[in-house]
Amino acid sequence: MTFNKKRASVKQEIPTSSMPDIIFMLLLFFMVATTLKEVEVYVQYKLPEAVAIEKIENKRLISYIWVGKSGKIQVNDAIVKVEDIKDIMYKKRQELPNVIVSLRIDKESDMGIVNDIQQELRKADARRINYSAMLKQ
Amino acid sequence: MVQIKKKKERDANIPDAGMSDIVFLLLLFFLVSTTIDVDTGIGLSLPEYIPPEEQEFVPLSKDRLAALNINENGDVLLDGKVIAIPQISENLIPRIESKINLPLKKKLVVSVKTDRKTNYNLYIQALDQIKYAYAEVQKAYAQQAFGKKLSELTPEEEKTVKKEKVPIIISIAEPEKI
Repeated sequence: MTFNKKRASVKQEIPTSSMPDIIFMLLLFFMVATTLKEVEVYVQYKLPEAVAIEKIENKRLISYIWVGKSGKIQVNDAIVKVEDIKDIMYKKRQELPNVIVSLRIDKESDMGIVNDIQQELRKADARRINYSAMLKQ
Repeated sequence: MVQIKKKKERDANIPDAGMSDIVFLLLLFFLVSTTIDVDTGIGLSLPEYIPPEEQEFVPLSKDRLAALNINENGDVLLDGKVIAIPQISENLIPRIESKINLPLKKKLVVSVKTDRKTNYNLYIQALDQIKYAYAEVQKAYAQQAFGKKLSELTPEEEKTVKKEKVPIIISIAEPEKI
């Protein structure tokens, strides 16, 4: 006696022809969402934590100033002196009138350097600032 | 009859089975290199720069001013009284609330003053408390006046809350020359 296994006559295949399309969509999403890091940060810093923080919606308006543990200040891609900030920011403000200066300052810094930077920013009339901080968990 | 044999057409197909593999590789690259980080922080507007010789003192009545001093040892003084940082918001909320219906010229001004040696983290913690106090008052006011959450307000209503009723006025004290 032979047993013939009954097989469904319907093809049991998942159509994969549109798979690349789906993956292309994913790819496009990530390509658009990606912002490759344009600047190398030379200073070491740990941001402070806070609760009442807000998001900066417009990333294009942001200009960063880093202050590291060692007290070094970095603007764009170079370490600068405090006195130079005024000129750099003044130029920036001419290109982008409503620039937001995001201060990424190490949490162990002293207020002295923060005050100095703020004074420079005020002289450059770049007065919208944002103390970068992480959300406290 | 001569039979002309048609040349058999060759299949001119590009093999596309490996297509998804290639795209997967690309996808992986972008997945790995993507950082969808949002910039978060405490926003503030600095006052206009006025050279020291042109500075003039604007007298502020005592009940309008909440003076916050943080010294280099990490002691926090609110109007001359020692206070712990987490208590700042509890102290400020009633004071901000009491001035909701006053005109802009009579609102509370929170002044923050630090020493050169004050720890930056402490300053941010204090600023955070102030911002938090304002956010709480704004939230409460939105709920009470419009019955909505802050995020659900129309732009018009938001303006009333954030610009007219509960504006955030934080003054960063002019650093002293040593």
